[in-house]
Amino acid sequence: MKQRVGGVPVIVALTTLFAAPSLAAEDPAVLKDLTAVIALQGLACGQVVGAVRQGEQDYVATCQDGNRYRVFVNAQGRVVVEKR
Amino acid sequence: MRPPAPAPVPAPGDAAPPTAPRKESAPPVAATPPAPPALDLAALEKRLRATNAIGIFTKLSLKNQVDDLVARFRTFHQGAPVAVAKLREEYDLLLLKVLSVLQDGDPELARDIGASREAIWGLLLDPVKFKKVTS
Repeated sequence: MKQRVGGVPVIVALTTLFAAPSLAAEDPAVLKDLTAVIALQGLACGQVVGAVRQGEQDYVATCQDGNRYRVFVNAQGRVVVEKR
Repeated sequence: MRPPAPAPVPAPGDAAPPTAPRKESAPPVAATPPAPPALDLAALEKRLRATNAIGIFTKLSLKNQVDDLVARFRTFHQGAPVAVAKLREEYDLLLLKVLSVLQDGDPELARDIGASREAIWGLLLDPVKFKKVTS
């Protein structure tokens, strides 16, 4: 007997699979951490209101004032904040 | 010249004998500030690593900035023309950053680091102590 796989679960699975590298990070602790690290670099931001995870220790943060920054740890172990 | 005024006569009902020594209140002693606590840099570093008040990016960023400042002191101790006032400015700024990120989430650690400000500065400025803690 042929078993038919429903379309919706497949789409959900695929979406999850491909969306994994860029998960929205709404964890307040992550947003607070990103806010602090951007401020430590002396960059304009206010508060980080949203972030998208690009990879391990790699985020694109959206600030309250509209600025966007990529925050990541480079190969030398330094935190880098790049304006996007 | 006027003669000295006579000593006041005690009232008849006064219980205190006239010859009893008068209790003098202790002279005011200048309040001495409490001695600064002994610096335990290793313990402070351990607490800074362990605190949940700041996230991993913040910790790493602070570590980067501490490393940069230590490198500046290293060149200073090697004889590079670096003004102490400039180093102090950078040190104060960095300490301010540390305190500002800690003050809400871990006020006790912020207080202890703040209290160690001069001791840490002294350690950085002294070439012997500096070499000892950075080797």
